[in-house]
This record gives sequence, structure tokens and C-alpha cells, in this order.
Amino acid sequence: MARAREVPGFDCEEPFAVAAARVVGVRAAEVFAHSEGVLDLEEIERLHDMRVATRRLRAALEVFDSCFPRKRHRRALKRVKELADALGERRDRDVAIEFLGGLEAETPQDDRAGLAVLVERLRAEQREANEALAPYVKPKRLKKLRRRLRKLAKAAKR
Amino acid sequence: MKARQVGGLDPAAPLRPNAARLVRARLDELRSFAPVALQPPASKTQHDMRIAAKRLRYVLEIVGPCFGPEADAARDAARRLQGVLGEIHDCDVMLPRAWGIESLRERLRERRERLFREFVDFWRDASATWAALERTLGADGPKSHA
Repeated sequence: MARAREVPGFDCEEPFAVAAARVVGVRAAEVFAHSEGVLDLEEIERLHDMRVATRRLRAALEVFDSCFPRKRHRRALKRVKELADALGERRDRDVAIEFLGGLEAETPQDDRAGLAVLVERLRAEQREANEALAPYVKPKRLKKLRRRLRKLAKAAKR
Repeated sequence: MKARQVGGLDPAAPLRPNAARLVRARLDELRSFAPVALQPPASKTQHDMRIAAKRLRYVLEIVGPCFGPEADAARDAARRLQGVLGEIHDCDVMLPRAWGIESLRERLRERRERLFREFVDFWRDASATWAALERTLGADGPKSHA
């Protein structure tokens, strides 16, 4: 899992709203930096990194909500939550498949067919979740979200 | 689970006192789940507590530098707590799906029991970490209205 980036110029004595703009700017950039290859089912850690970055951004938006114009903040947070939910649906399947894959060798013969059916069902859900995620990570959509977040950061009440 | 509202935040005031209010509110929220979550079958409350741990972790990731090593220790503790409660939740989600695969169900039950014991031990050990964080916050403003 990628570590959170340092926030340049972060200062505990500066106004809360100034910190809000700094933190949201950095956390938003992290999300987009991790957006490449997230639909690749062979490289599930990529999606995990983007999901964690999205969680951090969401947390920053929630922590600093009082610093932003209400309507603009609500819309941005809604978009980020939608992205986070779509990433989460895929990630849940990735984790379950990985967990069950590790048990295969130790599973008694009688239960192996049942286990294979369960894994296959989860793989189908994983593909569905990936299809549902695809529109959210299209470059055009991400660019729009990035622009929205940039404007939000600029609008922090100072 | 919706996060509790934190009152008294001021965008024009320095980050530190605002941050102290937020951290205190998230810590109070986390602790409020413990009495029920420490009962083995309380899966819903354990799940809510995981979300509360996540919220505390992320707020500390953002404002931790304002509160020194106590905040780093609390952030790491919240991350571990989130991890173990997350694994318990994974078992709860998987169990009904494993219907008819007895060896898997047995394994999931054993795993849940082991993770629950880990959670109980960890929560007991973490009390000093939360207390140290609270002392650090103490100098920064009144108690939150959470």
C-alpha cells in the first residue's frame, strides 16, 4: 500500500482553511497518480493503491468540510464517494478470491468442487464490478473530477 | 455509519485547535463502540467500530504532525484495529456464502474466533495509547460536542 505523500508547507499554526486547500490538493493528486491500470485483474494492487488514495481524499474532504462552500463541497464529495464505492466493490472481490485461492491446497477433496464454484461466482462478480468501475476511471471523467477538486481547493474560505 | 458532527470548528482559526476537536471527537466515537463490540457475536457493532477506527486513522494521518509521536502511535493503533476488525468482517461476509462447504465454514469460524481474541487483547493494550493521545490533545481547546 502506497504511503500518503507529505503535504508541502503544512503548518499547524496556519488557518484551518489554508491547510484544507493544501491537503485536498495533495490528496486529489494522489488519486489521479494511481489511476493507471486499475482495471487490470492480474495486477490487483493497482486498484488497492487507488482505493486507499481515494479514501484519504474522502477523509480530507470530510475533515475540512467546514472550510469549503457547502454546495460545491457536497458535489465533490458525492463524486469521490461514487468512485470509492466502485473501487470498493471490485476490491472486496479481489480480496475474497485471493483468500480462497490460498486455501485450495488444504481443502479436503469433498469440498473442492464447492470451493471452485464459489471462486467462480466471485470471479464473475469481480468482472461485473470491473465493468461498473470502468466509466468512473475513464480519463475524461477523472479529468473533470480533478478540475472540480482544484476549484474546490481554491474556494476554501480564508 | 454516519460520522458524528463536530461542533465549534472555525476555518479562520489555526489548524491545531480545530484538529484537536476533530481527533477528540473521533476518539470518543471509537471508544463508544467498545462495550458492545467486545461481545463476540456483536458483528454489526464491530463493523461500525472498524469504520470509526478508519476515521480516527485518517484524521490522524492528516493532522498527526500537530500532535507529535503520541499521534503517530495512535494512528498506527487505529490502523491495526481497523485491520483486525476488517478481517473479522470478511469472515462474517464469507460465512453465509460458504454454505455447504463445511471445511471452509469451520476454518472461517476458527479464524473469526482467533481474530476476535486478537481484537480483545489489542483493545486492552491500546488503552495507554489512547490516553497518551488524549493528554496531548488536552492543551488544545475544550472537549468536543460530539
